[in-house]
Amino acid sequence: MLQDRYVELFNVVKAYPNPFGEDIAVVDGFNLTISQGEFISVIGHSGCGKSTVLTMIAGLNPITDGGIVVAGKEISGPGPDRAVVFQAPCLLPWMTAFQNVMLGVKQVYPNASKSDKMAMAEYSLSVVGLADAMDKYPRELSGGMQQRVGIARAIALKPKMLLLDEPFGRLDSLTRMELQDVILNILNFDKITTMMITHDPDEAVYMSDRICMMTNGPGAKVGEVMDIHFERPRNRQEIMGTSEFFDYRGRLIQFLNDCETEKEERRKAAS
Amino acid sequence: MKYKILKALDVAGLQFLDPIVRLIYGEEPKVQLSKIGRFIVIPILAFIAFLGIWGYVAPKHATKSGEVPTPGVVANAADGIWTFHKRENIKSRDYLLAGDRKETSLTEAQDRLASITKAEKAASSKVAEAQSALSAEIASLQAPHKKELAELKAFNKTASNSRKDSLSELAESVSENSSSEREAYLDALRDHNSLSALEKENEKKISAKIDEIAGMKYQPLIDARFALKLVAEEKQFLQKRVEYLSKNNRSEKVAEYEAKLGEYEATLASSSGKELEKTGARILRQEERIERVSDSSYAQPWTFPRQIKRSLMCVFFGFILASMIAIPIGILCGLSSVFMAAMTPFIALFKPVSPIVWLPIALIVVGGFIPDPDKHWFIDSINSLPIIGSYDLNPAFIASAITVALCSLWPTLVNTALGVASIDKDHINVARVLRLGFWSRLFKIVIPSALPLIFAGLRISLGVGWMVLIAAELLSSSEGIGKFVWDMFNNGSSDSFAQMFVVVFVVGLIGMILDRTMIVFQRLVSFDEAPTSI
Repeated sequence: MLQDRYVELFNVVKAYPNPFGEDIAVVDGFNLTISQGEFISVIGHSGCGKSTVLTMIAGLNPITDGGIVVAGKEISGPGPDRAVVFQAPCLLPWMTAFQNVMLGVKQVYPNASKSDKMAMAEYSLSVVGLADAMDKYPRELSGGMQQRVGIARAIALKPKMLLLDEPFGRLDSLTRMELQDVILNILNFDKITTMMITHDPDEAVYMSDRICMMTNGPGAKVGEVMDIHFERPRNRQEIMGTSEFFDYRGRLIQFLNDCETEKEERRKAAS
Repeated sequence: MKYKILKALDVAGLQFLDPIVRLIYGEEPKVQLSKIGRFIVIPILAFIAFLGIWGYVAPKHATKSGEVPTPGVVANAADGIWTFHKRENIKSRDYLLAGDRKETSLTEAQDRLASITKAEKAASSKVAEAQSALSAEIASLQAPHKKELAELKAFNKTASNSRKDSLSELAESVSENSSSEREAYLDALRDHNSLSALEKENEKKISAKIDEIAGMKYQPLIDARFALKLVAEEKQFLQKRVEYLSKNNRSEKVAEYEAKLGEYEATLASSSGKELEKTGARILRQEERIERVSDSSYAQPWTFPRQIKRSLMCVFFGFILASMIAIPIGILCGLSSVFMAAMTPFIALFKPVSPIVWLPIALIVVGGFIPDPDKHWFIDSINSLPIIGSYDLNPAFIASAITVALCSLWPTLVNTALGVASIDKDHINVARVLRLGFWSRLFKIVIPSALPLIFAGLRISLGVGWMVLIAAELLSSSEGIGKFVWDMFNNGSSDSFAQMFVVVFVVGLIGMILDRTMIVFQRLVSFDEAPTSI
């Protein structure tokens, strides 16, 4: 039971006051249930409130109404059980890659022995392929490598949930593909419940078990949820060649286009 | 290797040496030479031009303290300051010498004294020679003017007498009722007076020329006098040195007192009654005296290098005090907008206050805490510290340091607050996700992120502190560079004007070094471009 409903979002509302003091709901009545170990992507047009949903789950952004339950507990505020990989790597520039990862490890496992902590940090860096660059400072690393450190920092926390906020948004497409596989490999080993925000349909189809399509804001909510039936571990070449891939992709793009036309119509009606 | 050197230069802020290193490694000689020309040769040329203009303009302006010193005079003054310092160090070493080393130093000093006495004689005869040469020169130059003056005076006298005669004739011939004739007489009298004034003026002009020749600058005499002065100073120094190596030496004094003590003890053995009492008291006094002398050291006067060291110490005390106040308050201001709002009026109100106002207040407040500096535990304890103790720290020093702190803490405070307040939101989010506690958030995220700005503030603070310090020392009479300037201003000897110029360069140079050092620190802590390995 708990495994099926590992993460639940009930009727989540996020409202910001506009300049006239009226509350405008950016996200209004967002309902979603995620089972344990599932990879779910949230896709939608930019500005629809995808990232708002993610930061609310992370606890970085207070919820106006509704509730979010993770592993049977309603969340209150941020915590290392929900590790976030931000769009920018957000590394601390005065620390080496290793120290950046270590900062989180120390916080989550304060009672572990020093060698255990170091082993954990080293392990998570080697998983993302940075075994040789542990003592480098962020400015000495490329954007892709910095984002790898960001991923290593997140998984080193052994989180209940991994939140990816457009993690590849700032990378070139080759690096993006590399990092997609890095994450999928990690998840093949260790089934962490993951939510990824993206606006790339290919990425969403390739990586996810389910895709949650959001309607356009204001008042965005879940428009449609699509299951992706590919076996794991996944192989990019195989999947991209199947007709299912194109079907899934077509449906996604169809949905996004519909959202856009609907918005246009609403705008016309208003004027 | 090459890149290591270049990187080290970059970190040290000595980028102007960069083209030289590249040239040595044979990298694009043309480009490097043009860079050397621009960054090394042109500044040197500009400085030489500055010295030239200074040397030309300075002697044109005469003041009460003599002419404005030229670069050469200032260099001599600097040399004089340095020689004085070295000699005082030798004297203070001599005072403590004992045994064989004392004897060898003594013979060395006596030999030197003998030769310098000869040199002094030679130098004074040279001065006398130059003096007589100058007198002869003056006489020969003056002679034609003197002759001209005598002739002019004689001529004027005859002219004046003849005019006077004709005036008396005119006065005689004035008829009784003719007012026009009286007017004519008055006109003639006026003419006579103005002519006489003109003649006097011409005579004065020639006298002035003669006086000018008498006061002429004669370089050989100036040089001879300067040489004599140097020799005389060295002679005086050597005489003092001989004294400190013989009868005024510490070990000699102790030996002398001990001999006396031996006498008293002998007397004690054979005395009784009143005499015993007297001798006993004498012995105790003598023992005390021996103890005091054997711990004593030469009372070294405040030479300029020692004053510089004390000033540096004072500025560091003040700077550290300022940092200890400004950084924590700045961090609190940056963290809490409420605290910032509470502090804003104080910062705005006290920041513009001049050191001249803070100093008397600091002096009075410190004086309140330390009414008797000779017997105060705090002063005693800091003066018993190894190196610091030899600089004789007193309430004036503490007041100067506090003044430096009060004036220099503002840039650090404001910059720290800015640095802490403008910390990257993403870094805060990382801290929130990791649920870092207050202290690890402060030390792992907030302070490292604000460090470059904190150091930028510290750099400005140190510069301000160094400027304020000189004024504070000048006012508080705390031994240091400021006190040196004030003493020079008040004693008004021929050297002191040049010595003040020396101070200008010394203060500027030290300020520059302090600033450069802070730049290096700032670069080392700024994570954006900090070198990871040299």
